[in-house]
Order: sequence, then structure tokens, then C-alpha cells
Amino acid sequence: MSEQAFVLFHLTQKLPIMFCFDRMGLIFAAITALIWVLCGLYSFAYFKGDKKAKRYAIFYVITLIVILCLDFAGNLITFYLFYELMTLLSVPLVFHNETKEALMAALKYLFYSLCGAYMALFGLYFVYRNAETIRFTPGGVLAMSVTPENQTILLISVLSMILGFSVKAGMLPMHAWLTSAHPVAPAPASAFLSGIIVKGGVLGIIRTVFYIAGPDLIRDTFVQYILLTLSIATVFLGSMLAYREKQFKRRLAYSTVSQVSYILFGIFLLNPVSLTGSLLHVIFHAVIKSALFLCAGIVIHETGKEYVNDLPGIGKQMPGMLWCFAIVSMGLVGIPPLSGFISKWYLCVGSLEEGISVYSYLGPVMLLVSALLTAGYLLPIVIKGFIPGEGFDDSGAKRIHVSLWMMVPVLILAGLTIVLGIAPGMLTGVFKTLADTLM
Amino acid sequence: MTAITFGVNSICGFGLQFQLDGFRVLYFGIATFMWACSMLFSTEYMAHYGNKLRYYLFSAVTYLATVGVFLSADLFTTFIFFEIMSMTSYVWVIQDERKESMRAGDTYLAIAVIGGLVMLMGIFMLYVLTGTTDLTKVGFDGSAVQFIAGVLMLFGFAAKAGGFPLHIWLPKAHPVAPAPASALLSGILTKAGVFGILLLSCYMFYGNDRWGTLILTIGTITMFAGALLALFSVDLKRTLACSSVSQIGFILTGIGVYDLLGVHNVLAGRGSLMHMVNHSMIKLLLFMAAGVVYMNLHELDLNRIRGFGRKKVLLKIQFLMGALGIGGIPLWNGYVSKTLIHESIVEYRELLEEGEASPLLYGTGMISLIEWIFIISGGITVAYMTKLFIALFVEQNTDAARQKAFDDKKKYMNPVSAVVLTLPAIFMPLAGMLPHVVADGIMDLGQDFLRIEEAEKIAYFSVTNLTGALYSILIGAFLYVFVVRKCLMKDGEYVNRWPKYLDLEDYFYRPLLLTILPAICTFFCRIADKAVDFLVPVLLSIGVFICRIADRFVDGIVVGLKRTVFREEKLPQERIEGSALTHWLGGWADRTIHALNETVWEYRPRKENAEHRMAMLHTRISENNAIIARSLSFALSLAGVGLILILLYMLI
Repeated sequence: MSEQAFVLFHLTQKLPIMFCFDRMGLIFAAITALIWVLCGLYSFAYFKGDKKAKRYAIFYVITLIVILCLDFAGNLITFYLFYELMTLLSVPLVFHNETKEALMAALKYLFYSLCGAYMALFGLYFVYRNAETIRFTPGGVLAMSVTPENQTILLISVLSMILGFSVKAGMLPMHAWLTSAHPVAPAPASAFLSGIIVKGGVLGIIRTVFYIAGPDLIRDTFVQYILLTLSIATVFLGSMLAYREKQFKRRLAYSTVSQVSYILFGIFLLNPVSLTGSLLHVIFHAVIKSALFLCAGIVIHETGKEYVNDLPGIGKQMPGMLWCFAIVSMGLVGIPPLSGFISKWYLCVGSLEEGISVYSYLGPVMLLVSALLTAGYLLPIVIKGFIPGEGFDDSGAKRIHVSLWMMVPVLILAGLTIVLGIAPGMLTGVFKTLADTLM
Repeated sequence: MTAITFGVNSICGFGLQFQLDGFRVLYFGIATFMWACSMLFSTEYMAHYGNKLRYYLFSAVTYLATVGVFLSADLFTTFIFFEIMSMTSYVWVIQDERKESMRAGDTYLAIAVIGGLVMLMGIFMLYVLTGTTDLTKVGFDGSAVQFIAGVLMLFGFAAKAGGFPLHIWLPKAHPVAPAPASALLSGILTKAGVFGILLLSCYMFYGNDRWGTLILTIGTITMFAGALLALFSVDLKRTLACSSVSQIGFILTGIGVYDLLGVHNVLAGRGSLMHMVNHSMIKLLLFMAAGVVYMNLHELDLNRIRGFGRKKVLLKIQFLMGALGIGGIPLWNGYVSKTLIHESIVEYRELLEEGEASPLLYGTGMISLIEWIFIISGGITVAYMTKLFIALFVEQNTDAARQKAFDDKKKYMNPVSAVVLTLPAIFMPLAGMLPHVVADGIMDLGQDFLRIEEAEKIAYFSVTNLTGALYSILIGAFLYVFVVRKCLMKDGEYVNRWPKYLDLEDYFYRPLLLTILPAICTFFCRIADKAVDFLVPVLLSIGVFICRIADRFVDGIVVGLKRTVFREEKLPQERIEGSALTHWLGGWADRTIHALNETVWEYRPRKENAEHRMAMLHTRISENNAIIARSLSFALSLAGVGLILILLYMLI
């Protein structure tokens, strides 16, 4: 596939707004398109009778366009432009309910995201000054202009960019917006936020690490160690707090915090195998987490139950939904042959292969501890949902008919979790080649 | 038997690899036989249960997964099927959805998930070290990392097999699961764990001393602890479950000795293999027999079910076959395998004495101790099986009416169940009485897998071997008479004297994993979680403070200076107002007024302040002049005057 690029217009002579259709962008665009369509279909039933649905729909469509532009952005300034636009235009999705909490959460989201974007902008200035070009080039553009004098400042600016983008990806310490924004946003928005918008930050980090800085610049420096430490800590923190969280959607939000840091950990290892795992997890997590949020949305929409403790017996009311929930949950835990297992395999093997002193063991151990906690916070919902146990009053447990608009997307996502787990061959092949070209 | 391998490529990323060799085919056959028996038995047992569809569906999937485990050729495949098996078999434990079942199910699932993840870590490490998960292609290079990888995998497999200290799920899960499912859990699912341990012991750690010592230690503890638990138990299925733990301990002991013996592994390997097969068959039978009891009485407490089998000849014989088999009584199958394992321990001790093997941790004395623990555990086995048999089939129930109801119950199982209980019951004496045909045949089939090159004909019924069994039986009889009848019974009732605080699960694992660790971790995570949320207002207020200072900086300086340096002071003297002219004029005016006041205005005098008013007027005029002089209109009028002057000049 030839990589085509075109320039939309020039900001200045050296700063073109340009797009480039490379593999990496295609991967992110493909998963965006898939999740966008499914969440969109789901929204038809979810917003039935909601007067504000029109506003939601408008911003939802614009967000798609912006994210696709983001995925295909060909240089850093274009990426930055659409990154900011993505933040601004997705805010209405968060405050849709217009409650006070929703507005506060939206402001928090905005505040955090803008902070992150400015950190990225800070790094961008240095890149612009020091590099020949800011066009995304596999292997990095900074690596060739590094001298002993400017190495430290370049590393700091790269670190600043990565930390900036990691705000969107929910890495410690700037992850708190996720757990505020997700519970108040409408379910399809949460699903899209968690599945796709968060991945915008991931793409930013991939672009920075592999297309701007170059893996060789970062390898074995303090930047890599800081980032590995933060991502491993986030993996644990997210799972641990999800395990203790009682509100359904906030639990899933903490889970996102943890799971996205799986991806970041794989990227920061700078190893082709773990990068393959990261890319796989981008896809699998998008599929699984959207499905989980959509399931949570079905529960909230049909019964109004928002807390995990209210959920026993839910499987008697909506067995189809809970079956899908069970499958994707086990996928997230990483029970073979479901999809989460494959990405975990690549991540852990990559980590052990890379052999960065203590991190190469700590990482897989934390990933597995996190998987255990994932089982701890998702499987009880499934078990209690199907088998509420003795003393459960099932008088109110009538079968609820869930609209097909809602069920079909969830079914498709659950099906994908199984299919991608059993036959990941095509994905792994493409990702492996891509990962090898980047190192 | 030559091995056949085949694979399904690209499934799950790496492809599934399968192999058919003697051992695998043997266990494939046993699994199929066991599933057939227990599913046929289920038709009667489960007749009054709800959720039958779920039960059969998950049983079928578990069957496929278990077969997948036994046929797998590399650890990747093993792991995938192992996890599926763990997950789907959970449904067995919680089948009746009671509170205890759910609790036992939680334990089962937790052990399965933790075991699976730890095993996965080991597999990762192995894969990265060697580039393959096919254990037949991997040798042990002596590195610590590889040994740790092995231990991690062992953790996962031992969790399923029920090795100490991960045996806790067995005594909880078996009593609550339906009996046919218990039979499978105990008879074959634990063997899937043992299969994994065999893979590690026979390939990666073939003949490794350290590994052998480790397995032997675990095996010995498991064997003894399980037997002790079983002896104290007063619940039929719980006793059988603890017995399973103990028997797995026997197998692990055999495997441990197998690795210690190195090339002389023929006895240990064949013994372990035979004990696996024996235990599968015996537990299938015994759990189904327990199922017959439960299906009629819906109770498992020994005191309540006491005397149930008194007039039920068929059930009595079937149970007796199993009891004799597991007790290691000569002429029954357990004797064959226990003898082999016992002989191998003796063989290792002899090797140590001759100096052909070097002791790593265990010297001759310790090996003798292990031999005695082995014999005593065998004795305890005899004791608890006697306890069960006498309670069920010999003694009368303390409640006479209940006993009568038992005796009147003639139809206690249907013909299908009778047949499926009889089939494994035939196997026990058959293998025990014709060991050179049946038992040796089975062992010959499986021994290639265990990498046993030589074949040794052993005289099973020699005096030395019989003596070993005799010791066990004597110890068993002694324990039964003096411990079970004296200490474990009170007023003719069986009582549970096992101290509650020795429950590992309730007093160690659950508090640790569910309360203490999460609490500590959550504390630190909360701090990290809220760090930014907390820091933002703090930073903001610091920022605002600094900005406020900067904002008021100049104002502050002005105020400060005003208060200090530029203090306003009173003028030293009054300013002189007016000019000479106003004073002269005013002076004269005042004098005039004064003169007038004296004369004309005598009655209405005027103020004599003309000088002052003149001065004020002068000031006002001069101020006005200054304002006018500074004002725009003045400038404009001057400009206008200028323009007029220019005009006049031009005109003139």
C-alpha cells in the first residue's frame, strides 16, 4: 500500500496542515469507524424521546470527522490542531444531561485535556526548533539532530509531549478526568469516549515515540524509566480502585484507566513484540470496553440501577445482555481463547524479551495481578447477575425486552471478542510487520 | 505406541498442537469413560434438579476442554484448554445455587484464576527463555530463572491437582457439587493438573534433584494432611474430597521420587501412572455411590445417613470395591500402585545408602521418615474408609424409625445407575488380581510418555511388598479402633473434632486476599488517585496568592511610601496671599471703611476685610487665568486670535 499524503493549506511556509494515509492511521481509523457506527446505532434507542438528542447527534458526527482527521494527520501541528478540536467538540457529549455534575465533569475533562495539550505544545516548539521537519516519519525525526548538548532538553521536551498526550490516555497522575466524565456521560458517549477518544491520546504517544522522537532516542534513558514506572503504577491503580468501586460506570472507567496503561506499557517498552501487543490491545480494548459500557447503558436505561450492589438478578431480566457482558468480561480478564488473552501474551512476552532490568518482570506480574483484579471486579457482576442466590426476591424480575437497536451492537462486539480471539492471525500479521518497520 | 501429532494452525495466534501417544490416548479413554458413566448417572441423579440444560451444556464443554488438555502437545494449547476447563467447571460447583455453593464456587474460581495467571507467568518466562512452549524440546539448563518458571507453572497445575497448600477448594467444592460432577472434578480434573506436573517433571526437569525434592516435599505434606483431614471429617463427600487430596499426594510423592531416581525411574513412574488411573476409577465409583446416598436422602452427614446401606447388597459391594481399592488392600488395584511407589522410595533409599545418588535435602534418615509417612498415610486411608463403610453399611442408625425407613427402601437406584456403578467396580479387583495383565498393560501403554526405557517385571505379591501393605492395614485397624471409635465419637455419634482455626481458607486466604491486601493497596492507590484532584486547588490558590501580590505590588509601594517617606507635613508659615497692589488697595479700603464705620456706618458697621477679599479675588483670578491658560478653548481662542491677526495683516 503506498502512503499518500496531501497538504490542505499552509499555516506558514514550514507548517503545512497535511494528511498522510499510513498503516498506523488506518488501524486507528478502522476501529474508530467500527465503534462509531455501533455506538451510533445504539444511540437511536438510547436517546429515544430525548429532546437534546439532536445536539448530541451533531457533535457526534463532527467528532467522528475530527477523529478521522486526527488519525490521518501527517505532521505534528496537524495532529495538535485536531487533537484540540477533538477535545473541544467532544465536551458536549459529556455534559449532555446538563446536570450540575455533568457540567463540572465536562469542565474537568476540558481542563485536564487542555493542560495535556499545552504540555504537548510545549514539546512541539522544541521539536520544531531542533528537527528538520515535523512530519511523521517512521524511525523519528529528532534522532538525527541530537547532539550531546541538546540531548537533555530534547528528552525533556519529548517527555513533556508524551505526558501531555497521556492525559487523554488516562495515565497517572492525570487520569482523574476519566473517572469523573464517564459516569455522567450518556452510555453511548462513555463507550465512544472510552473506546476511541482515549485512544487519540494513545495515537499521540505512538506518533511522538515512533514518528517524532524515534525509539533509539528514548531507549535506556530516564524518560523510558519514568514512563514505564508510571504506566505500571497506573495498571495496578486502575484495577485496584475498580475492584473497590461500587458505581457501575465508574468501575468501568477505572478499568479503562488500567487497561489503556497496558497499551502504554507495551509502547514504552520499545519492543516490536510488545508494540504488536499494544496495537492488538487498542483494538480489543476498544471492542470490549465499548461493549461493557453499552451493557451498563442498557442496565441504566431499562432499570435505572447505577450501583453494582443493585445488580443481582439482572441476568434473569436481561439474559442476552448479561451473556454478552460475561463474554466480554472474560475477554478483558484474558481467558483464552477470547481476545484479551492474545494481546496480553504479546505484551508480556515482549516485556520479558526486552529485559529492562526490573521492569521486564514487574510489568508482566502487574499485568497478571491486574487481570486477577479484573476478574474480581467483573465476574461477580456476571455470577450474581445470573445467580442472585438464596433470599433474592425475584418478584420484580420480569423479563425485560431490550430494543434490538441496543442489543445488536452489543452482540456484534461480543462476537468480535470471540472471533478476534480465535483467529487473530490477520491482525497480528499486519501489526507485526508495522511494528518491525518502526523499530 | 508411536506418537501422532497434528495441529490446527493460527488458532489463537500460535496454533493449537495436539499429540496422540499411549498416555494421552489412555487418558482420553478414561475421560470419555468417566464422562459417559457420570452423565448416564446424572440422568437419574439430576432428575429433580433445576437448570438441567445448563448442567449438561457446561459438562459437554468441560469434557471437550479436558480432552483438549490431555491431547495437547505444547503448553500453549494446554493452557488454553486448561483455562476453559476451569471456567466451565465452575458451573458444576454452583449448580444448586445455595449460599454454601456460591461460597465454594468463589473459592474454586479464585483458585482457578489465580492458578491460571501464575501458570501463565511461568509459560511467558519459559517461552521467552527457550522460544517454544513444547516441553519435549526443552531441557533444564540449570538457571534460576528457568527453575522459577517451572515453579510458577507448578503452582498453576498444583492448584488444580489439589496440592498443599492450594488444596482448599476440594473440601469445599465437592460436598456442594452434584455427585456426578464431584466424581469428574475429583477423578479427572485434578488429573489434568497432575498431567501438567508430569509434563514438567518428565521433560523439562527430567531427573533433576532439586525439582524431585520439591515435588516430593509437596507430595508428602499433601498425602499426610489430606488423609488427616479425611479422618476427621464427618461428611461423606467431604471425606472423599479430602481423600482425593491425600491420593494426589501419593501420586506427587511418586513423581518426586521419579525425578530423584533419574534413570532408575521405572518403578516410580509406573507407580505414579497406575495410581492416577486407579484414583480416577475409584473416585468415580465412590462419588457416584455417595451420589446414590444423597439422591435418596439429600443428606451427607454421617450421623444422619448412618445405616443407609445395610440391606442394599449391590451398593454395599460396589462401595466395598472402591474402599478396598483405595485402601491398598492386596488383590485390589490400589495395592499395585501403592506398592510400586513404596518400592521406589525404598529403591531411592538404597541408592543413597550405596552412594549412587547424592542427597540434596533428604538423607537416608529423611527418606525413611517419608517412607513411614507414606505407610501411615496408607493406614489413615484404611481407617477413614473403614469409618465410612461401617457407618454406611454396618452400623444401625441411632434413630430406629429412620433405620426402618432406610431398610424399607428397596428401589434406591435405577438399572442404568446400577450398571454405571458396577463398571468401575469391576475394574478394582480385575486390575488387582491380574496385575500382570491389566495393570501392567495400562502401565506399558503409558510409560513411553514418562520416558521409561526399561521394563521391569515386579513380583507384586512377594513377602516384602505384602509386608508393607500389612503395616498400613495394621496401622489402619489400630487408628480405627483407638482413634475413630474412641476419640472421634461421642455418645455413639460421629463428631467433628478438627479445630476450626486450622481452616486455611477462612483464617488465612480469605482475610489476606479479600481484606488486608486490598485495604493496604487501596489506601495507596487512593492517594495517587486523588493526588491531582487535591493538588489542583492547592496549586491554584498558591498561584492566585502570587498573582495577587504581583497585582497589588505598585499600589503597595505607593501606599508604603506615602506612609513612610512622603508623609504630608504642615507648611512652616502661611502663604502670603495676594500681591503688593492688592495689599495697598485693600489697606486703603479697610482704612476707609474703618473711618466710615466710625462715622457714617456707626450703627451698621461693615467688615474690615477688604484686604483679604482682595487677596482672594487675586488668587481666584490667577487660578482662573491658569486654568484658562491651560485649557483647549484658550488655545483655540488664541489660535483664533492668531488667525484674525493674520487676516488683518493680509488685509492691510
